[in-house]
Amino acid sequence: MKAAFAPGRALAGAAFIIAASLLLRWATPEYLSAEMARRLTGVLLGAIVVVYANAIPKSLVALARLRCSPAREQAARRFAGWSLVLGGIGYMAASLIAPLASMHLVGGAILAVALAAAILRCMRAGNPAHG
Amino acid sequence: MSTVFKALSDPTRRKVLQLLQAGPIGAGELADMFDVSKPTMSAHFAVLVGAGLIEAEKQGRNVTYRLKLSVLEEALLGFAQAFGLQVTRPEGGHSEVESKREKP
Repeated sequence: MKAAFAPGRALAGAAFIIAASLLLRWATPEYLSAEMARRLTGVLLGAIVVVYANAIPKSLVALARLRCSPAREQAARRFAGWSLVLGGIGYMAASLIAPLASMHLVGGAILAVALAAAILRCMRAGNPAHG
Repeated sequence: MSTVFKALSDPTRRKVLQLLQAGPIGAGELADMFDVSKPTMSAHFAVLVGAGLIEAEKQGRNVTYRLKLSVLEEALLGFAQAFGLQVTRPEGGHSEVESKREKP
């Protein structure tokens, strides 16, 4: 868990996503129903969000380059990480549980709320009025 | 990952992580918050830095420690706090860090 967004890891992640997508395509409809393939694609997308959001609190900016209080910046980063991890898990759960017709809508809404909360929290951290 | 579990297994190191959740703290100030010698605290800090759970940043002559926990590691910390994950020590024995410090 050293460099959170190293190019090598990003490329390996991209290769995994492509391989998993091709595997799902290959397995449908012989081994997987079309519905299950769509649900598993949603789970894969949610998992990607979880993996990247998990690393958000680890990607630090040098203290000298911070434009707000280090404590507030750290709190905002932690909040954004937790919010997006929970949003990603919510997307995965919606992909597995929600009716097929509304699966992406429900998952997308959960993820949008998580993303909005993270953005608002980060904007608030950068605003001196909310000290 | 085993270095993370090793780092989280000690209550002093878990307390350090808890204190750093409020924001970055200077090395001296952080060491003063504990009832152990500064060399022992330095050894604890080294274990946490080695596991990638905190980061030391030099600002002039001072060293400031910052939290560097991923969401999963923070969840593990919470789990360890709640269930008291701790390495067992022999009767009257010292912690791993203290034992290392006592070696010549």
